Amino acid sequence: MWKVWLLFDPRRALVALFTFLFALAILIHFILLSTNKYNWLEGQQTSSLATPGITKVIPT
Amino acid sequence: MPNRSESLSGLTDTEAQEFHRIFISSFVGFTAVAVVAHILVWMWRPWL
Repeated sequence: MWKVWLLFDPRRALVALFTFLFALAILIHFILLSTNKYNWLEGQQTSSLATPGITKVIPT
Repeated sequence: MPNRSESLSGLTDTEAQEFHRIFISSFVGFTAVAVVAHILVWMWRPWL
Protein backbone atom coordinates (compact mmCIF):
# COMPACT_ATOMS: atom_id res chain seq x y z
CA MET A 1 0.00 0.00 0.00
CA TRP A 2 2.86 2.37 0.83
CA LYS A 3 4.21 1.79 -2.66
CA VAL A 4 1.64 4.21 -3.94
CA TRP A 5 4.05 6.94 -2.81
CA LEU A 6 6.61 5.56 -5.21
CA LEU A 7 4.15 6.41 -7.99
CA PHE A 8 2.51 9.60 -6.82
CA ASP A 9 4.51 12.51 -5.51
CA PRO A 10 3.21 13.11 -1.93
CA ARG A 11 3.21 16.90 -2.28
CA ARG A 12 1.01 16.91 -5.35
CA ALA A 13 -1.17 14.15 -3.90
CA LEU A 14 -1.73 16.11 -0.67
CA VAL A 15 -2.54 19.34 -2.51
CA ALA A 16 -5.04 17.49 -4.73
CA LEU A 17 -6.55 15.69 -1.74
CA PHE A 18 -6.96 18.84 0.35
CA THR A 19 -8.49 20.75 -2.57
CA PHE A 20 -10.94 17.93 -3.24
CA LEU A 21 -11.91 17.54 0.44
CA PHE A 22 -12.37 21.29 0.82
CA ALA A 23 -14.64 21.49 -2.25
CA LEU A 24 -16.65 18.51 -1.01
CA ALA A 25 -17.03 20.01 2.45
CA ILE A 26 -18.21 23.35 1.03
CA LEU A 27 -20.69 21.51 -1.22
CA ILE A 28 -22.16 19.42 1.61
CA HIS A 29 -22.43 22.34 4.01
CA PHE A 30 -24.24 24.46 1.44
CA ILE A 31 -26.56 21.57 0.54
CA LEU A 32 -27.48 21.24 4.20
CA LEU A 33 -27.95 25.00 4.52
CA SER A 34 -30.35 24.88 1.59
CA THR A 35 -32.63 22.46 3.43
CA ASN A 36 -35.25 23.46 5.97
CA LYS A 37 -34.41 20.72 8.44
CA TYR A 38 -30.66 21.21 8.59
CA ASN A 39 -30.36 24.96 8.25
CA TRP A 40 -28.53 25.72 11.45
CA LEU A 41 -28.50 29.49 10.79
CA GLU A 42 -32.15 30.20 10.12
CA GLY A 43 -33.40 27.34 12.29
CA GLN A 44 -36.32 25.13 11.27
CA GLN A 45 -39.12 27.22 9.77
CA THR A 46 -42.09 25.36 11.32
CA SER A 47 -44.23 24.89 8.18
CA SER A 48 -47.54 25.09 10.15
CA LEU A 49 -46.97 28.85 10.80
CA ALA A 50 -45.63 29.67 7.35
CA THR A 51 -48.59 28.55 5.20
CA PRO A 52 -52.02 29.36 6.82
CA GLY A 53 -52.02 32.99 5.65
CA ILE A 54 -51.20 31.98 2.11
CA THR A 55 -53.88 29.28 1.85
CA LYS A 56 -56.60 31.80 2.83
CA VAL A 57 -55.57 34.23 0.08
CA ILE A 58 -55.75 31.65 -2.72
CA PRO A 59 -59.34 31.68 -4.06
CA THR A 60 -60.74 28.14 -4.26
CA MET B 1 16.01 6.78 -18.79
CA PRO B 2 15.80 6.98 -14.92
CA ASN B 3 18.18 4.43 -13.38
CA ARG B 4 16.70 1.22 -11.94
CA SER B 5 16.41 2.42 -8.29
CA GLU B 6 14.78 5.81 -9.09
CA SER B 7 10.99 5.71 -8.40
CA LEU B 8 8.47 7.67 -10.42
CA SER B 9 7.83 10.01 -7.55
CA GLY B 10 11.51 10.26 -6.68
CA LEU B 11 10.98 8.87 -3.16
CA THR B 12 13.03 6.00 -1.81
CA ASP B 13 11.27 3.00 -0.27
CA THR B 14 12.03 4.14 3.27
CA GLU B 15 10.74 7.66 2.57
CA ALA B 16 7.55 6.24 1.06
CA GLN B 17 6.98 4.01 4.08
CA GLU B 18 7.63 6.87 6.49
CA PHE B 19 5.23 9.16 4.63
CA HIS B 20 2.63 6.39 4.47
CA ARG B 21 2.74 5.91 8.23
CA ILE B 22 2.02 9.60 8.85
CA PHE B 23 -0.59 9.66 6.08
CA ILE B 24 -2.50 6.74 7.59
CA SER B 25 -2.48 8.15 11.13
CA SER B 26 -3.72 11.50 9.79
CA PHE B 27 -6.45 9.64 7.91
CA VAL B 28 -7.54 7.84 11.08
CA GLY B 29 -7.62 11.14 12.95
CA PHE B 30 -9.68 12.78 10.21
CA THR B 31 -12.12 9.87 10.22
CA ALA B 32 -12.46 9.99 14.03
CA VAL B 33 -13.38 13.69 13.87
CA ALA B 34 -15.90 12.97 11.10
CA VAL B 35 -17.51 10.17 13.11
CA VAL B 36 -17.84 12.42 16.17
CA ALA B 37 -19.37 15.18 14.01
CA HIS B 38 -21.90 12.78 12.53
CA ILE B 39 -22.85 11.50 15.99
CA LEU B 40 -23.43 15.05 17.18
CA VAL B 41 -25.55 15.90 14.14
CA TRP B 42 -27.52 12.68 14.62
CA MET B 43 -28.23 13.64 18.24
CA TRP B 44 -29.32 17.08 16.98
CA ARG B 45 -31.52 15.99 14.07
CA PRO B 46 -31.53 12.33 12.96
CA TRP B 47 -31.70 12.07 9.21
CA LEU B 48 -33.35 8.61 8.91
